[in-house]
Amino acid sequence: MFTNYSEHYLPNGIRLLFMPTDKFKTISMALFLHQELNRQVAALNALLPAVLEQGSRQYPDKLTLQRTLENLYGSDLTADILKSGERHVIAFGCETPHDKYLGKNGALLRKGMSVLGSVTGDPLTENGGFKKDYVSQEKNQLIKDIRGMLNDKVTYAYERCIALMCAEERFGTYKLGQIEDYDQIDREALYSYYQKIFSRNPIDLYVIGDLKEEEVLEVAGEAFSFSRSDEQSKLTATEIKRPVPEVRYHEESMAVNQAKLVLGYRTYTGYGDAQYCPLLVYSGILGAFPHSKLFMKVREEAGLAYYVHSRLERHKGLMVISAGINCDDYSQARDIIDRQLEDMASGEISDTELDNTRRGLINRLRSQQDSPTQLISTHLDGSIGGRTYTAQELIEGIEAVDRQEIRAVAEKIKLDTVYVLRPREGGS
Amino acid sequence: MREKFRLIENRELHETLYHYRFYPGLDLYVLPRADYQKKYAVFSTHFGSIDNHFRVEPDPEVTELPDGVAHFLEHKLFEDERGNVFDRFAALGASPNAFTSFTQTSYLFSCTDNFEQNLDHLLNFVQEPYFTEKTVQKEQGIIGQEIKMYEDHPHWRVFFNLLAGLYQKHPARNDIAGTVESISQITPELLYRCYNTFYHPSNMAVFVVGDLDPDRVGRQVKENMAGRDYKPMGEIARLLPEEPAGINQEKTVQELVVSEPIMFLGFKDNRAAKLESGPLMRREILMELVLDILFGSSEQLYNELYRDNLIDENFGAEYSAETSYGYALIGGETRDPDQLYGRIMEAVNNLKKEGITAEQFERHRRKILGGYIRRFNSLEFIANNYLAYRFRDNEMFDLPSILQEVSRNEAMEVAVENLDPSSHALSLVVPPPEE
Repeated sequence: MFTNYSEHYLPNGIRLLFMPTDKFKTISMALFLHQELNRQVAALNALLPAVLEQGSRQYPDKLTLQRTLENLYGSDLTADILKSGERHVIAFGCETPHDKYLGKNGALLRKGMSVLGSVTGDPLTENGGFKKDYVSQEKNQLIKDIRGMLNDKVTYAYERCIALMCAEERFGTYKLGQIEDYDQIDREALYSYYQKIFSRNPIDLYVIGDLKEEEVLEVAGEAFSFSRSDEQSKLTATEIKRPVPEVRYHEESMAVNQAKLVLGYRTYTGYGDAQYCPLLVYSGILGAFPHSKLFMKVREEAGLAYYVHSRLERHKGLMVISAGINCDDYSQARDIIDRQLEDMASGEISDTELDNTRRGLINRLRSQQDSPTQLISTHLDGSIGGRTYTAQELIEGIEAVDRQEIRAVAEKIKLDTVYVLRPREGGS
Repeated sequence: MREKFRLIENRELHETLYHYRFYPGLDLYVLPRADYQKKYAVFSTHFGSIDNHFRVEPDPEVTELPDGVAHFLEHKLFEDERGNVFDRFAALGASPNAFTSFTQTSYLFSCTDNFEQNLDHLLNFVQEPYFTEKTVQKEQGIIGQEIKMYEDHPHWRVFFNLLAGLYQKHPARNDIAGTVESISQITPELLYRCYNTFYHPSNMAVFVVGDLDPDRVGRQVKENMAGRDYKPMGEIARLLPEEPAGINQEKTVQELVVSEPIMFLGFKDNRAAKLESGPLMRREILMELVLDILFGSSEQLYNELYRDNLIDENFGAEYSAETSYGYALIGGETRDPDQLYGRIMEAVNNLKKEGITAEQFERHRRKILGGYIRRFNSLEFIANNYLAYRFRDNEMFDLPSILQEVSRNEAMEVAVENLDPSSHALSLVVPPPEE
């Protein structure tokens, strides 16, 4: 029912994960470099993929690079920075349509991989650093992106809650770092940082498509032939045990129409823990689905919100509840939300809620098998979390969760931070 | 209307679609996708936010709706006498959802188990309305919050402000969800009247995709329809106001809490509103090519604007058209809207002088073709978009072949016609002045 990856190592130590399947119309390739999340290097990590994406030695500017990709039938090259727990992952992707839908013969894997290899492993340099224009241009863009977080109020409120809650932890670092950190980065320092981490940090390369293993190995080996150190950096694990001495309350006002309520909880359960599946079920019953308590009580019964849900920061052991409400309804909404958590802790969970949540979670897991992006990101979760679950293992884990385990999860969960974004008095 | 069956084959995409038609006019499309775990079904009605003024042949009585009824009805169908519809999908492990656009309302689920029961459930709840004073009132609160959320959403605002600038009368100028005021006028009677018109099977279609046996799905849908005692219905006359050629307002500016201005520039396509569906689809494809050639990331303009820090990666252009309206839209966040506006207009004017090279045209054609193929990985994409094309009598699977047919000359003609400086409008969202 589920296809798994075959694991290989390229001569330079890059791990290759290949999944042969004729299900998709595409060839998907993705490269991830694992690094620690912390304030000191966050801006460097965010800037690096942005600069690399501007051009390589072989394709020295964006124009040349994009035209090459267009001629490869709109192959899509992406460069990004991901934050997962206290891991910072530099991510590149290249997706091409499969040749068989174009009457071509096997050239797109080779060409797509070569572009990906060129951009990540053979960058454009001048005088011992990256190209000056690219570095300053991308700094400007990232500073703009950091400021732009404000534009989407739902995301803004979420990120503010996390930053305040985890101000003294590595996880409190925003994935793009902070504006002032960019001042100190110059093109030489960024390049030597690039050389260091591309030589020493763990790198995973994923390939999914209707392809032959020998060919993938050969093509990947050619495209990613840069030399790497035998010594691999060890990355510090995510801290999930921080106690909560008292609940903190933060409020901010702005000229907006709707108030945003964000509640940050600590679950003390990590991705690799035995209680991970019970935590998934817990959060599912509470707020991950339209049948969940939060949606039913806050939205369907009280009519207070359009969106209200709980989400897990699974690698950091956090649970975050978000809702958009009328400011005047704050107390009523808080009461209803608190009552749902109390009901979870006292075991007031119906058989229907439990069964529906199990089914919903299993449906999500199975559905992930139909998307190359999700097949890659769920496996990447395993690398980050230090424990690789197959879809089958998670499904069996979820089926086996009982009420006692949910209660054990509930007893550990602690509210840490309340964040409210309020409409300004007499505002818009 | 009698039962009907045909196969729609697409050789480029290696797809075979099964099309059935059942009394009294419901279309069913089944696309088998071996190896997919997920099965996805969407049940749509050709009723969107712009259908706010109509009558049904031969009845002369005209109904005029406050804004936001199609969307309100979508919310309300999820509740019936037995309670909440979400619960019943949840018990079957399915994930349900719905959405309303300018032209359609769609109800859908995806599941990996219990497909037949889920499909029955979808067919049943959409065909069994239940509206009361009490449930309507509660929904006014929920949708009120949805509207407020969008009021704070700068990209949403800049988009609808642009449409309100382009259109004087056409209802595409109004927000899909309506306003807090307009939805306060909605009553159960009004919802029933719309329901009985637009939710007649002859105005609806079902699309199902996944590892499925088409004939079996066909039998199931046919049986579900059989017991419902539908009568044939007269044609729905969608009464759209006569839209003048000129725009409504040259420039709209709204202050919101944003980090920098957002600028959308729109060109009203008066020609699109008069086209039959075939030429309309061709025009969409041509405009997609033209806009990509003008504003895409592989061209000089984009790279210069990016280098000058006037745009970011989200800058883009798109064309959208339906049988009663059409527009091209260009824009994104920018530190200097005046400069960006000037550069875009200059590029539009230069296109007419300089034209498109054969190399450019072929390269962008390849890119768009590859994009179509890649999007066919997604069952949701296929199902949702297929019915949107179907409701205006287009065959979505023709996209690759039309793309191969169109010529550079046609593209230039369409570009000059649509990107007419005399019919453009500007919409800006700007940060409030510093206090």
